Amino acid sequence: MKLRARLALTLGLATISLLVLLGWAQSRWQSKMRVDALAEAAVHRMESGGRERCEANPERWPGERGARRLRRPPGPPRQALPRHRVFAYDAKFVSANPDSPAFPSELARQLRAGSEVATDRSPDQRRTEVAVRMPWTEGPCSVLLMRSKGPPSWFSGAVLMPAFLVALVVILVALFAAGPIVRRVRQLTDSVRGLGSDSEEPIHVEGNDEIAELGAAFEQSRQTIQAQLASLREREAALRNYIANTTHDVMLPLSVLQGHLVSLQQRIEAGDALDANSMVPSLEESQYLGSLLHNLNAAARLEANDGLSHRDPIDLNRLAERVVDRHQPIAKRKQIGLDVAVPQAAIEFPGDLTLLEQALGNIVQNAIRYNRANGHVAVILEGSVDRWALRVVDDGPGISHADRERVVEPSFRGSEARTRHPHGMGLGLHIASDVANRHGLRLELRDTEGGGLTVELIHAG
Amino acid sequence: MSNRILLVEDDVALGQQVVQTLSQAGFDPHWVQDGDAARDLDPDDYRVIVLDLMLPGTYGMDLLKRYRVKSEVPVLILSARDDTADKIRGLKLGADDYVTKPFFPEELIARIQACLRRPNLVGTERLVVGAIQVDLERREVSNAAGSLSLTPVEFEILALLARRKGSAVTREALVDAALDPAQDGSRRTLDVHISRLRNKLGKDAIQLETVWGIGYRLSGGA
Repeated sequence: MKLRARLALTLGLATISLLVLLGWAQSRWQSKMRVDALAEAAVHRMESGGRERCEANPERWPGERGARRLRRPPGPPRQALPRHRVFAYDAKFVSANPDSPAFPSELARQLRAGSEVATDRSPDQRRTEVAVRMPWTEGPCSVLLMRSKGPPSWFSGAVLMPAFLVALVVILVALFAAGPIVRRVRQLTDSVRGLGSDSEEPIHVEGNDEIAELGAAFEQSRQTIQAQLASLREREAALRNYIANTTHDVMLPLSVLQGHLVSLQQRIEAGDALDANSMVPSLEESQYLGSLLHNLNAAARLEANDGLSHRDPIDLNRLAERVVDRHQPIAKRKQIGLDVAVPQAAIEFPGDLTLLEQALGNIVQNAIRYNRANGHVAVILEGSVDRWALRVVDDGPGISHADRERVVEPSFRGSEARTRHPHGMGLGLHIASDVANRHGLRLELRDTEGGGLTVELIHAG
Repeated sequence: MSNRILLVEDDVALGQQVVQTLSQAGFDPHWVQDGDAARDLDPDDYRVIVLDLMLPGTYGMDLLKRYRVKSEVPVLILSARDDTADKIRGLKLGADDYVTKPFFPEELIARIQACLRRPNLVGTERLVVGAIQVDLERREVSNAAGSLSLTPVEFEILALLARRKGSAVTREALVDAALDPAQDGSRRTLDVHISRLRNKLGKDAIQLETVWGIGYRLSGGA
């Protein structure tokens, strides 16, 4: 059922209920007033000579005319005295007048129970019967019975018809008055339906009532949902981009690796003698692939968060040793000396274990990958918990000053960082720089004394 | 003590490679392929446990917890996931170290040897590094040729290197430990002391290596 019809019907039913209740209450009140008026009039009549006339001739009292001659007692009028008939009875409810009806048993019960006035409706519900005990108990006229028509029952047409008419009017008024409300609700409904589409239309309902508040709440929700949708789309685009870039980045070293393996196979088929160094390029490329995937994973994590998702106490001594152990096999195969020195007491630092290890791993890997045969790489951790430096020193070719500044710029991101420039150091050093920034560390690149590059992660305390 | 190593790894190819690597390195590997089979083994029967996390049956972390209740045997986690939470959880549960896949066999052996080396670093008064013996209490040094007469500075240098046998020690650390900064405690002075020390060590001087970019290392210890 529509809102307007429901509202009108509700108001109509409420009005009918209220009016019927009022009608019933008024009917009861009128009935009581009638009874009181009849009782007072009966007592007044008897005390003003009626008793003497009744007791003088009880067989005929009150007679044809007297039966309807009950008059209003003196005093302010309170209730119109209804037309009625009156009959006299003795204290045992027996009338000397043979025309009198038998005294109603219910009224007799009430009077015996001690009431001065008893009232009831006739068995056909059409008359009101009132019995009044006179101030005396002797004689044939000590109880009067009066019978009058009505009053109409509370549910009669006289009460219900006006109620229905009023209810009808209320319903019509409600239907008319609910129009603007319904229009605003429909406006709100249309706006909310628009949420499903890509509409940027804001939800707005005029006014300052509850419907307007509802509209404002919907608008707030719309903005939240749209922001979340935008974020999800952004993430989805980033994920697609990540997959595409990862595929591209992995394909390159994979192709190089395949090339090395094919070359090896051809040499074997041609009967060439293979030495220990024959496999080095393949092994190096396979390690580069693993490192690249770790880097891409780290880059995705760094792009997804502004800060750090983990901060646990990290044993930097062990981290440095682990990174050196990881790169030692390739360094040996490339005849590059790789050594690590850590202080005797462990240095703990709160940070993201994976990211810090990846950052140091990138620096060490670059130092090995772009070094020369018989070159050297040294990883040195010095200082204490409050102030330390983690230094990777190499005697390789180093990188230009311009490139050093570029790779540590915060804006050096995305595809530019992913390329192998310079010499493939881009992504690795960029990640190292980003990780350092997030840990409050300083990343410095400088020339090694005697040639080469020194990269230092510094915790200045 | 036996060289028995428990390897809990479900991947057959990787498991075979690791078993071969461990055997070649002189260890005696016992390979178990699922977590449930590893549950009831006594960890103290092994010198080191190499534990993969993603296992069928009982999860690797649960095995680690179970082992740590009754044993202090070194546990090395093999982690395929590059996830900080996993590594940190493993270390907090008592793992000694971890190795992230993919790894070179030499890396795994180096980490296992690091696990085995750690407890032996403290509380030793007499250090033996190859042919060189350093008595820290008596402040005496000897080799196959007999007792060596070292200056206090030379002794401090050799003692520090012997305590960190096999590890590179920076020049700065040696200067701080052995030289008086008020009396020419420079790196150049250190090199002079090292040169003299090498002369006194004779044929064992080869154990006292110069480590490029760092300083020195006393190698040759088991």
